[in-house]
Amino acid sequence: MKVSQIAGFLGSGKTTAVMKIAEGLVNKGCRIAIVVNDVGEISIDSKFIEANGLEAREISGGCICCQIAGSFAETLAKLHEGFNPDIVIVEPSGVAIPWGLKRAAEYSEAKADMVIEHAPVITLVDAVRIDMLMRAVRRLVETQIREADICFVNKVDVATPEAITKTEELIRSINPRAEIAHPSSITGEGLEIVYDAIMNRTSPRYDDAVEEEMLRKEYAKGV
Amino acid sequence: MNHIERDMAALSDAEADRLPTYPIACGVNRKLLGDNVTYSMWCKDPKIFANGFIAGQKYFDFDFAIGLMDLSVMAGDLGAHVRMDDENTPFVDKHIVHSLEDYEKLEVPDIRKGRSHVIVEGTRLFNEKLKNEVICAAFLEGPLLALTQTAGAERVFMDMFTDPSAVHAGLRTMVEFDRQMVEAFSETGVAGLVWDYLWGNYSCLGDEEYNEFEGCDKYAGMLNKLTADSGMALCIHNCADLPHLDTQVKKFKPVIYSMAYYPLIPDSPSAGEVIDKGYADNCLIAGNIDPQMFIRAKTEKISKVTSDLCQEVKTALCRRGLKSRYCIASGCEVPPDRATKLDNIKAVVDTVKRDGVLEGC
Ligand SMILES: Nc1nc2c(ncn2[C@@H]2O[C@H](COP(=O)(O)OP(=O)(O)OP(=O)(O)O)[C@@H](O)[C@H]2O)c(=O)[nH]1
Ligand SMILES: [Mg+2]
Repeated sequence: MKVSQIAGFLGSGKTTAVMKIAEGLVNKGCRIAIVVNDVGEISIDSKFIEANGLEAREISGGCICCQIAGSFAETLAKLHEGFNPDIVIVEPSGVAIPWGLKRAAEYSEAKADMVIEHAPVITLVDAVRIDMLMRAVRRLVETQIREADICFVNKVDVATPEAITKTEELIRSINPRAEIAHPSSITGEGLEIVYDAIMNRTSPRYDDAVEEEMLRKEYAKGV
Repeated sequence: MNHIERDMAALSDAEADRLPTYPIACGVNRKLLGDNVTYSMWCKDPKIFANGFIAGQKYFDFDFAIGLMDLSVMAGDLGAHVRMDDENTPFVDKHIVHSLEDYEKLEVPDIRKGRSHVIVEGTRLFNEKLKNEVICAAFLEGPLLALTQTAGAERVFMDMFTDPSAVHAGLRTMVEFDRQMVEAFSETGVAGLVWDYLWGNYSCLGDEEYNEFEGCDKYAGMLNKLTADSGMALCIHNCADLPHLDTQVKKFKPVIYSMAYYPLIPDSPSAGEVIDKGYADNCLIAGNIDPQMFIRAKTEKISKVTSDLCQEVKTALCRRGLKSRYCIASGCEVPPDRATKLDNIKAVVDTVKRDGVLEGC
């Protein structure tokens, strides 16, 4: 089962993006489940979900701590055993660390007979509110950008060109290796590359990354 | 040495037979009380709560006991809805702050009721039974943690910037709630009180914001002093990736500091680094086995990790000229999950008994 994280701080457009991406992937024949956190102002349209054969679950927002990991892992295990999706799209809380969420997802392997793969981690960066966010919650925004594989400069339909450029520069300065995209979850424009990334690409597993890090350290000791 | 002698040695950095150990096994202990004991039974009944710790001590032979329940105790008693699955950590699934005015409306609940009562009474019961065997401590959520659990962390972080006075109003209520809890815990006879100051994390807050909202002087500072004045040793637990060690260890001066390690986060401090940088000079540091290993690792693997940690710690202690000031622990709670392997908890303790032996430098 593949897990796709759509990260971003409060109000950056995660739920809107998750719904649009889920719809697009369903149209491509994928079996999709979504796990969202419940803080948002957009409530999920249950009719849309039924009509598209999606399965939705909620996780609480709020804690970077390991304590939330158990219930998230349980949710994934139950989804696998019941609905058995190909891809689970997850909207984590804005205080979750992407690596932490990967770790929690892999934890579900102890609860169901499955192997977890990760789609590239996507972080939404709200171009309209970027100045405000960088003043208010700079560290959280930086963490999410730093750990992303792909950053969306989001709300491009209403952001000024200057704000968009500034957002891109910010992303590059924090995470030069991240790919930058400008899709619109309102019009659906530019989302093809996102579907492709989620369906056909992967991001490293937490377990493997830790093992490699340990190996690296051992080599360092040896020389 | 018996457990208390070993604890006392480690606390004062005296010679000890081996490193102390305490994988933070709390809710998971209920599994020793029988398959029919669910998490919700354990966390709603002081006797079952206490019996879990007593059974855990008997089975695992730990060096400490800490009465952690979970991080939704205070928020739940304040009125937030807590989702409680039978076999998992409960969590808040409906926050109760939806506007700035709502911070003002928070009220300290009657701590003689709800899970506040369970944790105080349960702590009293297990302390009575175990206090002559191990050092026992109560566990309490700090004001900022309690507020974020009640109001939602993202919301609180935004409001800190846009409307700090509203956040402070909420914090003052949490401080009063905590003050009453400290008083109640001090009457249970526990030797220590562990504060969870989770947001002392550079991934979330810088020094300035942390200082303002944890209230290094007025909130946490006051509660730390109250803890000591009430006859309990000040201890701090923080499972963050980038902990504010200078504030939480050097400034707050706890006698025990429990922390985690995130190998993939650049600059997350390892056990050796923490000792090298002097944080164990005046404080017993506890860490840092990944809690999820208790579920996912094979027993040989967790034994190996524990053994490596013992080695890393012993080498670093020697390098620093220290004797015994590190407790092999789990950084965060051992998940109270249906899939947690009790054998892995035992393996950690048994490995420390073997490989944590201190033979001098
Ligand atoms: N103009 C514009 N508005 C958007 C776009 N995406 C989302 N929004 C709006 O931004 C607001 C927040 O969107 P959500 O999708 O709820 O954002 P979120 O990140 O899920 O929010 P939380 O769950 O509250 O953290 C809503 O009013 C959306 O309509 C976009 O691409 N363009
Ligand atoms: Mg949302």
